[in-house]
Amino acid sequence: MVYTPYDFNESVRHRTEYIEERLRDGSPVAGISYEGGVLLLTLRRTQRKIFEIYDRLMFAGLGNQSDLEIIRVGAIDFAHQEGYARSPDDVTIQRVVGFAISPGIKRAFGDVLNAPFVVRALFAEMGKTPEEDLFYTLNYDGEFVPLSWAAAVAGTPEAEEQMIRQLVPEDAEGAPDLQTALRRALRAWTVGRLWAMDAHLEEEGAESLSEERIESFLREQLQDLQVEAAILDRFTKRERKFRLLKEDEILPALP
Amino acid sequence: MGEYLSANRSGDFMALLQARGLWRKPEAVPLGQSQPAVQEAHGTTVIALKYREGVLNVGDRRATSANAIMYDRAEKILPLDDYTLIAIAGSYARAMEIVRYLQHSFKYYARTQLQEMSLEGKLAEVSRALAGNLSMALQGIGLFIPVVSAYDLERGEGRIFFYDGMGARFESVEFGAAGSGSERIRGVFDYILKTKGPFHEMTLEEALRECLLLLDIAADLDSATAGIEKVLPIARAVTAEGILDIPEEQLAQMKESLRR
Repeated sequence: MVYTPYDFNESVRHRTEYIEERLRDGSPVAGISYEGGVLLLTLRRTQRKIFEIYDRLMFAGLGNQSDLEIIRVGAIDFAHQEGYARSPDDVTIQRVVGFAISPGIKRAFGDVLNAPFVVRALFAEMGKTPEEDLFYTLNYDGEFVPLSWAAAVAGTPEAEEQMIRQLVPEDAEGAPDLQTALRRALRAWTVGRLWAMDAHLEEEGAESLSEERIESFLREQLQDLQVEAAILDRFTKRERKFRLLKEDEILPALP
Repeated sequence: MGEYLSANRSGDFMALLQARGLWRKPEAVPLGQSQPAVQEAHGTTVIALKYREGVLNVGDRRATSANAIMYDRAEKILPLDDYTLIAIAGSYARAMEIVRYLQHSFKYYARTQLQEMSLEGKLAEVSRALAGNLSMALQGIGLFIPVVSAYDLERGEGRIFFYDGMGARFESVEFGAAGSGSERIRGVFDYILKTKGPFHEMTLEEALRECLLLLDIAADLDSATAGIEKVLPIARAVTAEGILDIPEEQLAQMKESLRR
């Protein structure tokens, strides 16, 4: 693989291929709004994956751990200096992702002399009501997409689409309760993971994802991986709205 | 790659602010210069008492500027995090800025380092903020004195710390107080201890009663302290379950019962 730094298109293509290939195996992250707050869910081996950024902001992602760490600390730094210099109300997901993080990632991606970020990240902001909750997905090239109600990042863009379908089913009305949200997020994670790992699924179509197949795949994954879920709690009186869910809170949602 | 975003790994919020040029260090002015013409608002009396479940903080609501009453709804008891309260007396402007700094500093540490700052670390951070404020305090402005109440989860008890203007920290066994009114009532604390027994054995109700009485006496003896009559004081406690806001109705009832 030889390319000159002068051939921009070529180098971007190579970098994209390299990153996409490495991201494909990553554990997806599902985000969903529920009545009492915002939920992020993923499955992991040992490393923690979901993090608090600011009072009403949290973050998770897949890809290179140290790249995620740089984004995490960068977002925390920006949020805190803004919150202190102005007010916590001025710290918004749109400013953190759009102005503080995305341009740096884009620069790293375009800089052929440097390694690019290998990440797909998901930011969540809790509003006063589920309607006001916001999600941003952020890609390795700096592109970001704002979303309401639910969002997902996974190994491939197609897998993300499939996850969204699970998170916001067609017959869904309003914001779910926490248990329903957990179930949907877990299912979305499973579908996203299957879709990214199994190249045949795209040809077979979503219909081939039977209940049994999803459930047995999840059981299989749960042997190596554990569920990590965190919420921003809309109604807590505590200073910290962020909380990792405990095992007994997650257990009822497992198969 | 880190240079594209950030590289502050220490969890030290002051270092971050300094690196970004956001920390306003008060300028030192040589002693002996004429007093600045700034009239600042001052908070007056705050009290911290141990009780069975933790520490109760009560503060009157008055802020004064020289001999004028500037505001009678000032909030002088503020949560620094879920297990720490700070009660402030003295320069209101400087105190508020430093409280805001401390709140961010504790959260910043917890979020970046993925662990809570230790109680010792938090107390040292308060000292550091006070010491950083010293040059202003020496000019005669911006001096404030905090009382920090914390619930020590490791020991399973409430603890009270008070400071001097330079940042020296002392731990109190039973109570802490700061502000102009507190000086007038120092002996009353000891009188209660000797006649009614230790505060840390009292129920919330009993401790609240003592606090309101103390504030009432402080208001009688100190012109800058508002007491409990016109506007109800602020009362917050810190317990194993976190911060507890004492509702106004409870304060109003207690105040009524003291009249009889």
